[in-house]
Amino acid sequence: MSNPFDADALIGDLTVTLDIDVLVGFYPQLDRAGGTPESVRAVLAGHRITAGAVANLRAALHDPRSGNDEVLALAGPDVVPVGVVDLRDPIGAVAEVERLAAAGVRAIRLFPDEQGVQADFPSVRHVAKQAARLGLVLLTGGDVRRFWRPLAGLDARVVFLDTHFYHLGDFLVVAEDEPGFCTSTRLLTSPDALEVVAARVGADRLLFGSRAPLYEPLVPRLRLATSGLSAADVAAVAGGTARTLLGIA
Amino acid sequence: MIIDVHAHWGPWFFTGLETPLLEVMDRYGIDRAIVSAAEAVQYDPVAGNRALARFLETTDRLYGYVTVHPRRLAEAERDLRAYLPTGRFVGAKLHTDYSGSPIASPQTRDALAMLADLGCPALVHTWDTSVLDLAQACADLPGLRAIAGHMGAGGVRYAIEAANSCDRLYLEPCWSHAPAGRFAEVLAAVDDRQLLFGTDATLIDPASAFGAVAAARPSGETAERIAWRNAAELFGLQV
Repeated sequence: MSNPFDADALIGDLTVTLDIDVLVGFYPQLDRAGGTPESVRAVLAGHRITAGAVANLRAALHDPRSGNDEVLALAGPDVVPVGVVDLRDPIGAVAEVERLAAAGVRAIRLFPDEQGVQADFPSVRHVAKQAARLGLVLLTGGDVRRFWRPLAGLDARVVFLDTHFYHLGDFLVVAEDEPGFCTSTRLLTSPDALEVVAARVGADRLLFGSRAPLYEPLVPRLRLATSGLSAADVAAVAGGTARTLLGIA
Repeated sequence: MIIDVHAHWGPWFFTGLETPLLEVMDRYGIDRAIVSAAEAVQYDPVAGNRALARFLETTDRLYGYVTVHPRRLAEAERDLRAYLPTGRFVGAKLHTDYSGSPIASPQTRDALAMLADLGCPALVHTWDTSVLDLAQACADLPGLRAIAGHMGAGGVRYAIEAANSCDRLYLEPCWSHAPAGRFAEVLAAVDDRQLLFGTDATLIDPASAFGAVAAARPSGETAERIAWRNAAELFGLQV
């Protein structure tokens, strides 16, 4: 009996060379265990994801400095460390951004929802401005319809990690004005969202993101593999663009 | 063989939803789908049901849901009596949010009672704890067979509790979010005769539900039950 849910047959030989949205650590609210570095590596390998831009939930939820140090220690061919700051402490956040930049980190991740920070809090634009000044890429959660505003006009390179296809039109209209604005593919799970982004602002604005291990990587892999994008665009979305953005050979 | 028990026909209002349903189904090897008219869900059930009836004459891959607006029950009953006997419509769709009619409201309870009397399976939008209200409706209405659309979305723990309280309550997984392990949790806790496959296409690409189910690795008879056999039995489909 053949399995009707044979995802491998649909995905084919798609390999993700850099997942822009990977987490290690734990969410205290969840019943199940979160991601140890070992378990996260196993998840990625099981999905033919050869590298992840990894941020640490300890840094997001408890202590940025020690959490960032944990993720810095994981750096290697399969782990691109992403720094995390706490937007509830904009003074400390900028100091941490400067420390991370000096350590060679290429990207800073913002967790506004988890930290209870809204788009119009002064902290968001202040931290983003300093990170952009240092040439760091910003990876940000939050509703794109609101978080575009504090990140606009900074000549910043920004990846919106929570862009839902319900809000795709809003992303597109701001992306047309902001050449540095990109989006993760994680929630672009409508039948046409990837194709619309590619047609409207270019496939180089799309970066594969899974949020492993909290989200199911099979979903964005399936959507990308079954998309109408060209093979070259699929390869770019699957990591080529992200590697370029983060300066990885 | 795959039967999608939660699909839609017609346009949506979000940016960039253009690919026709049959093409979307083909991406994932989905053979049949049971659809409600987007117009009927979002705006005018009578006009939407009528337009869907005409469209169903053009394909044998789709079956219809009669969209029932609980606050327009007389019209709904007329539509049910007109369309169910054609054999092209096999169930009813209730969307609690668009109709402003929560499952526990008197209007929706009356609608579900009518569907139970007609022996008509009902696909009902459920979110968080509202799936427990649907379970209560099944307990109160012995003839009711109901599908918890989205299986409560983020309220999957309530969906498990609901399904285990009544064997006439079915779960289907579609949601635009895909937390890891969501369907596996259901598969481990609910009788596989109560599990169906639904996508919410063309609003949501089937990648979301297909990936969620595939990640749970159902095999053998269980995979077959989820993919089509349970749906064929529930709706009386000849496949």
